[in-house]
Amino acid sequence: MSLKFGVLGLLKGEPLHGYEVKNRFEAMLGGTWEVNIGQIYTTLQRLERDGLVRPAGARGDRGKQLYELSPDGQKALDHWLGEPDSGPQQLHEDIYVKLLLAARVANGDLHALLGRQKRAYLQRLRDLNRLEERARRDGRIDLARLVRGALLHTEADIKWIDELSSERFGVGEARPE
Amino acid sequence: MSELVRLTDVSKVYQGGLAGALDGVSVTVEKGEFAAIMGPSGSGKSTMLNLVAGLDRPTSGTVTVGGTDLGSLGEAGLAKFRRDHVGFVFQFFYLLPNLTALENILIPAQLRGTDAKGRARELMHRLGIGEVAEKYPARLSGGQQQRVAVARALINAPTLFLADEPTGALDTRAGEQVMELLGQLHRDGQTIVLVTHDAKLATRHAARVISVLDGRIVDDARLESTDLAASDVIRVRGEEASR
Repeated sequence: MSLKFGVLGLLKGEPLHGYEVKNRFEAMLGGTWEVNIGQIYTTLQRLERDGLVRPAGARGDRGKQLYELSPDGQKALDHWLGEPDSGPQQLHEDIYVKLLLAARVANGDLHALLGRQKRAYLQRLRDLNRLEERARRDGRIDLARLVRGALLHTEADIKWIDELSSERFGVGEARPE
Repeated sequence: MSELVRLTDVSKVYQGGLAGALDGVSVTVEKGEFAAIMGPSGSGKSTMLNLVAGLDRPTSGTVTVGGTDLGSLGEAGLAKFRRDHVGFVFQFFYLLPNLTALENILIPAQLRGTDAKGRARELMHRLGIGEVAEKYPARLSGGQQQRVAVARALINAPTLFLADEPTGALDTRAGEQVMELLGQLHRDGQTIVLVTHDAKLATRHAARVISVLDGRIVDDARLESTDLAASDVIRVRGEEASR
């Protein structure tokens, strides 16, 4: 995901200065992505260099500079919004490598590894369920949708672990190479 | 909490196939717990629930509920046990089509010989189906039918509330309402055992998830129920500041 386009999107509504961009960005993400103010300033400077944002008016209080979206910035934002996410599937977690290693290291007995991982996923699912409930209660439907995506991903992770654990598909029939 | 259900080395063998069979299962459920039994179809999870409900008998091993060894009861004793102690909801509601919603709810009370009209109306009101008391099942939505089934299961104030895939025949929204209802019952002190293949549902209200696979319990997870900060649950990963 891109901080750059997040910033452009926020500037579409109204001119903002760096701190406002940071606060609104973090609020929009409901605390699921924290950025430091340095990253925001660097991003704004690069966007200005590339002609996608421009200063709005003179520096105000304590040197605060408001930025607004330029016509080129608007075009770039529209283009980004219209592009579907594609490219390779991202698998960030260690379990994928552990699984491959364990087949060699633990003589193919993956049950313990899979059991611990399933428990961790179940706990995550419970935490996500509670977070979704809270988001809905707070009227944050947008955030609840994000959490729902995470819930469904975690559910798929559990199905995968179950499949690996079952005698039909998984480690019951696995043989060490 | 005190122990309500105990399965000791329970096996169930079905002629002609392994699906649903159990192989040496031992587990206990405490009073006031909301436990989910989770597993794929054919794993034996429904068999476990049926044994606890006294709807079926194990091939070997013992099932004890509230201190009563169900194996010591004859058919009549088992029927009385189910009537007095167990509320059961299924995936497909099983309402009698020629009785109204209210009449369906009253069946278990009538079997016991008690007049429960007041309690039935109160339950219907609480479950949000007060308006449909005089309607027949065919006139009700799936969600309403399942809530009627929940009211019927609750009419005799059961010690144990058992639910086998209670949202399986419902759309997402109606399913969530039924699960919300079970969550509320649990908060009011009801012991609940839920059977589901759906991990999202299992972890929604149940703090305990018992995983069943190929007739065996492969995991018994007690989950934390703390409200974490969003950033401790989800991290949206960004690229570093753009070039």
